[in-house]
Amino acid sequence: MVDSSTLTRKFQKEMNAGIASLVLLSVLEKSNEPMYGYQIARLLEEYSGDTSFMKQGALYPVLHSLENGRLLESQVEPSVSGPPRRYYEITPEGRDMLVTWQSVWKQMKSFVDRAIKGG
Amino acid sequence: MIKSVEEYLDELKAELKDSDTATVQDALADAEEHLRAALTNRSENQSEVSEEEALNQVIEQYGSPEETASAYREVERRTSPGLVREIPTQQVSAIKHFLGVYDDPKAWGALLYMLISMITGIVYFTWVVTGLSLSLSFAIFVFGLLFAVFFMFSLRGLALLEGRIVEGLLGVRMPRRSVFFQKDLTWFERLKTSLTDRHVWLAIVYFFLQMPLGVIYFSVIVTLFTLSVSLMAAPLVQSVTHFPILSIGVMRYYLPSWSTPLFLLIGFLIWTLTMHLGRWIGQVHGKYAKMLLVTD
Repeated sequence: MVDSSTLTRKFQKEMNAGIASLVLLSVLEKSNEPMYGYQIARLLEEYSGDTSFMKQGALYPVLHSLENGRLLESQVEPSVSGPPRRYYEITPEGRDMLVTWQSVWKQMKSFVDRAIKGG
Repeated sequence: MIKSVEEYLDELKAELKDSDTATVQDALADAEEHLRAALTNRSENQSEVSEEEALNQVIEQYGSPEETASAYREVERRTSPGLVREIPTQQVSAIKHFLGVYDDPKAWGALLYMLISMITGIVYFTWVVTGLSLSLSFAIFVFGLLFAVFFMFSLRGLALLEGRIVEGLLGVRMPRRSVFFQKDLTWFERLKTSLTDRHVWLAIVYFFLQMPLGVIYFSVIVTLFTLSVSLMAAPLVQSVTHFPILSIGVMRYYLPSWSTPLFLLIGFLIWTLTMHLGRWIGQVHGKYAKMLLVTD
């Protein structure tokens, strides 16, 4: 029998798969300047409080995938204290896509809330 | 418990051994960037926590190598093939592969390295020979101890500098930070630590050999470059200046005009082969430098 924590982790992972893209696009859309991975992770840490929704390492492949889809663009800049950093910025296509995704999210949220409440 | 960022990267690489090489490269670069940024941040805010402890706190938030690898694999699996930039290594034709060397920054970097290694080689050699001789001569004086420690310390700095040059030009990952002495050691203990450190002696061997190697690299590149440029330029120079290609006594030998394309082709081939040779030497030298200059 699979224990409940494993099932919860699996459930969390499956939910995160889509939500991470929405969250990352939103964070970069609100930001006035390009941000690097650790900066984004710190900001999300502030938003999530004591609860950890996803490992910070899982954000990076999502950032690459959004960049591949041309929703983000990035450039590498040298850093004073370590290896070069990749700074991400939202593209105009990314902003348009975010509007669509936000509306999908609102509909989805309301549907899930109603399903949980039972009508 | 993971003890260093390098150990984390090694474990992550092992976890991703079946993934696309570009994914592995991205995952390693992301992890290194994040872990080092987080460690710097922690050491500024929580200086009382040991580095190893801080690293494990950072990894707890970032994810274990297994978790991180799984996140990359998951996204790789979900990304549609149309969006994944795959490099069709097996389908590249032999000519493209041969000429592709011009588009490879590693080949150009290796050529530049081979050119400057003669100068750096002479500097290293002079420094090591002077340092060793003076350290031995000064050993009878009290300040000789200080000089020997200073010399050993300078070797670490030189090794770091050479490492940066090797990484920048040859693309082989080398340390970004030097190994420092422990703070609470006496001068004598510092000297003893250095003298018993295998890598200090390996670095001395490396710096010694760097001069003959630098001279060989420089001579090979300059000779081949001159040969290829001469071959390509000879027919053109002859047509403009009417200067013979060969002159024995009163006899003047000129190249027939039909041989111009042949000379251009041979010159170009020699230079292209030189670039391949440079890239290969760069790879071998990178491994050799890593073996001798990087501590375990």
